[in-house]
Amino acid sequence: MRSASAKRNGLTEERIDEGIDQWRDSPNFTPAEKIALEYSELMQYAPDKIDEAFYERLAEHYSTAEIVELGAFIGFNVGYHTFFRTLDFYPMFTPDGRLVSQEESRRIYGDVPASHRSAAVLQAMAGTEHDAEKAS
Amino acid sequence: MAVVEPVAENDPAAEGLGRLMATYASLGDDDAIFPRILAHAPGYAVAIGDAMTRAHLDGGVDVRLKELMRIQLATTAGDTYFSTLRAPAAIDAGLTEDDVAAALGDFAASERFTEAEKWALRYAWLMYREPDKVDAAFYEEGKRHFSEAQIMELGGLIAVHYGMAVFMSTLRGRVAVPSSD
Repeated sequence: MRSASAKRNGLTEERIDEGIDQWRDSPNFTPAEKIALEYSELMQYAPDKIDEAFYERLAEHYSTAEIVELGAFIGFNVGYHTFFRTLDFYPMFTPDGRLVSQEESRRIYGDVPASHRSAAVLQAMAGTEHDAEKAS
Repeated sequence: MAVVEPVAENDPAAEGLGRLMATYASLGDDDAIFPRILAHAPGYAVAIGDAMTRAHLDGGVDVRLKELMRIQLATTAGDTYFSTLRAPAAIDAGLTEDDVAAALGDFAASERFTEAEKWALRYAWLMYREPDKVDAAFYEEGKRHFSEAQIMELGGLIAVHYGMAVFMSTLRGRVAVPSSD
């Protein structure tokens, strides 16, 4: 899933991939964005490492209100995404908005969280374009 | 100075803080440290308070069982704040500290809990320790004890309360109630 408001604000699949896998070394994220991504990663995998020194680093880039907003947002998402994962549920729609069955969605998105730039997703979207051409 | 200090009760900028604190008090959060931290971001404080209290106090599953799950989740998160809270509604429903100790110990072997309660406690126990074990077979077993609505109620409780407990755990030792002088 992708937030429509985030996409309107310029979020791209390229930036998502980079933000998940390569944010530490990427020149395309500001220091403020990098520490927010680190906050998220640590909250999920190593919350004990979020110590006073880390919060002091966060405070160099964010106000107290923003830090609380980030922390609550991350905690909420860590909690819910782990729960949703156990439900083995796949998106009802392809990235371009086509309603699909759970079986087809599983084929498109795969068994692990997928980039919309993955081959299967691009193929599904290309198929939609092909269907649209045929219909016209 | 604390990195994130709770908003003072008499802070004129904290509009609606009293109502917010009353919401969280239903979870046993009488000193209201958590809502006063969240009050730095008021919209979040209201929404999350609503989610936490509804997940815990509304619905069709016994509040005593949900309180045991909530305490277990806070312990999993390493949070010493939420794990010490006790919801008044759960105490009214018969929750005891012996129940809590049993839920945090070898609950599967305890005669204190029904099979349904043991499944629910295992659900909370596994979710952030071994989520791969919460699979289709596990949910099928759960359906012998709970309706799908009740299982979603428990899942929602687990998600929101673990999420806030893990956030609070990162603030451990770094929060201090400011003086109201």
